[in-house]
Amino acid sequence: MNIGSDRMEPLVRVEDIHTYYGKSHVLHGVSLEVGRGEVVGLLGRNGVGKSTTLKAIMGLVRPALGRVLFEGQPVTHLQADKVARLGIAYVPEDRRIFGLLTVTENLRTGLDRRGVTDARKKELLDKAHQYFPVLAERRNQAGGTLSGGEQQMLAIARAMMLEPKIILLDEPTEGLMPRMVSQIHRIIDVLRAEGVAILLVEQNVPLTLEASQRIYLMEKGVVRHHALASELRVTDPVIHQYLGV
Amino acid sequence: MLIEQILIQTVNGIVTGMILALVASGLTLIFGIMDVVNFAHGELFMLGAYVGVITLAATGDFWLAFVISTLTIAALGAALYWVTLRPLLGRDALTTILATFGISLVLQNYALWQFGPVARKIQEPVTGHFSFFYLDYPWYRLVIALASAAIIGGLWLFLKFGTFGIWIRATMQDRVMAQAMGIPVPMVLTAVFAIGSGMAAASGVLFGPLVGVNHAMGLDWVLKGFIVVVVGGMGSLGGSIAASILVSLLEAYASLIVSPAQSVIVSFVVLILTLLFRPTGLFVRTPR
Repeated sequence: MNIGSDRMEPLVRVEDIHTYYGKSHVLHGVSLEVGRGEVVGLLGRNGVGKSTTLKAIMGLVRPALGRVLFEGQPVTHLQADKVARLGIAYVPEDRRIFGLLTVTENLRTGLDRRGVTDARKKELLDKAHQYFPVLAERRNQAGGTLSGGEQQMLAIARAMMLEPKIILLDEPTEGLMPRMVSQIHRIIDVLRAEGVAILLVEQNVPLTLEASQRIYLMEKGVVRHHALASELRVTDPVIHQYLGV
Repeated sequence: MLIEQILIQTVNGIVTGMILALVASGLTLIFGIMDVVNFAHGELFMLGAYVGVITLAATGDFWLAFVISTLTIAALGAALYWVTLRPLLGRDALTTILATFGISLVLQNYALWQFGPVARKIQEPVTGHFSFFYLDYPWYRLVIALASAAIIGGLWLFLKFGTFGIWIRATMQDRVMAQAMGIPVPMVLTAVFAIGSGMAAASGVLFGPLVGVNHAMGLDWVLKGFIVVVVGGMGSLGGSIAASILVSLLEAYASLIVSPAQSVIVSFVVLILTLLFRPTGLFVRTPR
């Protein structure tokens, strides 16, 4: 199948990466691409290597084989902090809020970078508060005291503070109430409208099909299927085959 | 007479407690951020005192010697971290314990070889006494307590406000996520080791005038440092400070009844009771 992004050079290109945790072989040659400003869904059952793929892009897991390219440059052996500075932000599955830091301090971990003027910092903070009003209300509260949904918003807002070109979003709706899920969906649409690419790992198939442009389906550490989101239905046999829903 | 003795011992306990807090803050900061139990901390304290002796002899200015010693040992700490600990991070905790223990032996024997077994004296910058319940109490002891409090307060402000403080606290809580947020974690870890080492040196210079400076002077302090770090809650800065004052006060009161040498037992009793009944530490509100 050949439905890559239409631009010549994708923003992120993952080429045949293999990873191991100790002796267990987790990724068996994953390849995928995300274009500029594109929302791409990565679906699959638990434990097929979706989160590991995101970690490998971020530089948190070292692939034994294969490489990751960002804007055409290899980033496979960069430390995660360098990867983040290039413009890749990471929202992990368990959110990993700095629980003892206040909401504002959590945001400042992404905001206090070289080359960001005070005016720009204020702009970015205001934007976060506008998208997530609850974070403005709780700005001086410790991150650990927020509810699950609020922590998820903080994790996304924190990633936005890096002004990334792509956000790796790992199961953002996991364990959230329906109202929160639709809010996450709205934020994905807003980010896409701003031109931020997203690689979205999700269990929520309807949301992923609606929010994404393209879909990769993973099974046992490899990408088995690749399609335009508009061509897939929740009831498709291929969805049933790889997700069992 | 007893009331007066108790008051004097209270002041003594607080003064010793502040020095101990300065030693323990460095230990707990290093442990909190990289899970390294730094057995060489006492030797950094001792080397700090020696650098103080040398610079004081050369310049004649105690406070200049204090600053130079702190900066020198901070740089030494950064170098030690870079060479011996950085390659071991993420391995079994035992490897870093052995590494820092090795550093401690090397530094101690270096000091013995370089400076000899005879204790050196640091002349205190503030002489004179003031009258305190019919007793002469040296001003310098108050200077020690105030200087320690100022340094610890400065550290707290540094951690609380300012970008680097946020980086340090974020790295303490989640090293991986901090790095994924673009925080230069290797640089933060090196800086924390340097800060901890500098604080050990600062306490060594401050304490130097009260006792002789010798190659083994770090042992007692690092031992007590470990006790208060455990009693206060591993990695909790406020806890270590509170525990330092508590343990020092208890020892000071105990020495009214038993000899000062025997009063050390009190620290261990507190340690054992803490480990039995509150193993996460006396002053930790939320277990991490």
